[in-house]
Amino acid sequence: MNVSGNQTALMMKRKLDANFDKKGVLIGLFSGGTWGINNVVLGIALTLVPALGDNAALYAIPLAAACMNDILAGLWLLIYNGWAGRFQEIIRSLKTVPGLMVCLAALLGGPVANSGYLLGISMAGPAYALTITALYPVVGSIFSRIFLKQHILPRVWVGMLLSVVGAVVISYVPPEGTTSDNFYLGLMFASLAALGWGAEAVLAVFGMSMIDPKIAINIRELTSGLCIAIFILPFVGGWAVISQVAAVPATFGTFAIAGLAAGVSYLAWYTANSKCGVAKGMALNGTYVMWGVILSVVFMSAELTQNLAIGSILVLIGATLVAINPKEFFKKGEEA
Amino acid sequence: MADKLPLRFRILHYISTVDKTCAAEIMKALKSEYGTEKQFTKGVFIEHLLDMKANFVIDDNDVVLDDKGELAIYYSINDEGKRLLKKYLPKQWQK
Repeated sequence: MNVSGNQTALMMKRKLDANFDKKGVLIGLFSGGTWGINNVVLGIALTLVPALGDNAALYAIPLAAACMNDILAGLWLLIYNGWAGRFQEIIRSLKTVPGLMVCLAALLGGPVANSGYLLGISMAGPAYALTITALYPVVGSIFSRIFLKQHILPRVWVGMLLSVVGAVVISYVPPEGTTSDNFYLGLMFASLAALGWGAEAVLAVFGMSMIDPKIAINIRELTSGLCIAIFILPFVGGWAVISQVAAVPATFGTFAIAGLAAGVSYLAWYTANSKCGVAKGMALNGTYVMWGVILSVVFMSAELTQNLAIGSILVLIGATLVAINPKEFFKKGEEA
Repeated sequence: MADKLPLRFRILHYISTVDKTCAAEIMKALKSEYGTEKQFTKGVFIEHLLDMKANFVIDDNDVVLDDKGELAIYYSINDEGKRLLKKYLPKQWQK
């Protein structure tokens, strides 16, 4: 659409639009970084959970962790929204169809995808499960193309695919020890996670045409966490894990920090999706795989293998392609 | 009286009732409903408008500098925005 106005106003608007795009990209990258932090801290928290036997390790602990991660993130977001005077917006949103759509997105991205993610890691090992779940930006972009009619530039597709290949290279480290009996079931759970997250993003972005992302993500985290707590945990003995965790302040504290990182990350992810579209938002969020590697190497003395280095560089190049048009980038001085 | 809509939803609804409008005008129109809330700031309104434009439910079609020399962008609802309102606006808000 043509926009009319005087030259100074038009110039100011162009600058505002450019800043808006830049902000979306930076927030998307930030969501990836904080999700990487969440993964690392959640990993530490899981090592602090008292031993409860093999069965608990397979189902109860990962699901209880998903539940606590979402509920704690939801509570942190509730504090944030309450402080910003938006508490009543949550109630108002829940009385509308778009608000309920966000709840449905929460079910897909939470109980379905989050549980699939953790069960996938638990059964198939992080190497394979993370490779499959890293495909979720591709799934989400295809859904957004079909259902939201969002136009995705060829450059963004190429960048996203490079990122996914990078994520796969990073994860291509055969798990130490033996392959679990539930390996293929684990791969299916991981695929379910990729589908769930892809569908979540598209539904949520649709809802966010009418609902503030800050509210949408708060609804998402609480709906997801509560549904896992009420409908899934009782059947897998997950409540026993939560009561064990709650009894040890250091363990609970670590989960609370992970929940804070998750809350910040999801808030940033929803905000980025709402600003720069599902494809870009998801691709930038997908850099968490690379951030996870960097954080593990820097803070946890993990070894930087060739795969991790090459994969991270691919993710970086891919994310850069998604975020920046090389032609514009090298056209210096024309636009801010 | 109809339940209050979430602010972004209400902004979209308001835009549908006028030919074109900007953040300052919308704030003036919605002051009686949301004026006492902490979220009632120009920055928040501008953000909602930019986001809704990025989500293809409104279009920007005019820019001017107001008397303070600040940028005012004018928006109109587009077909997709109208479709969303027709489908999802609560009945009590539909005329």
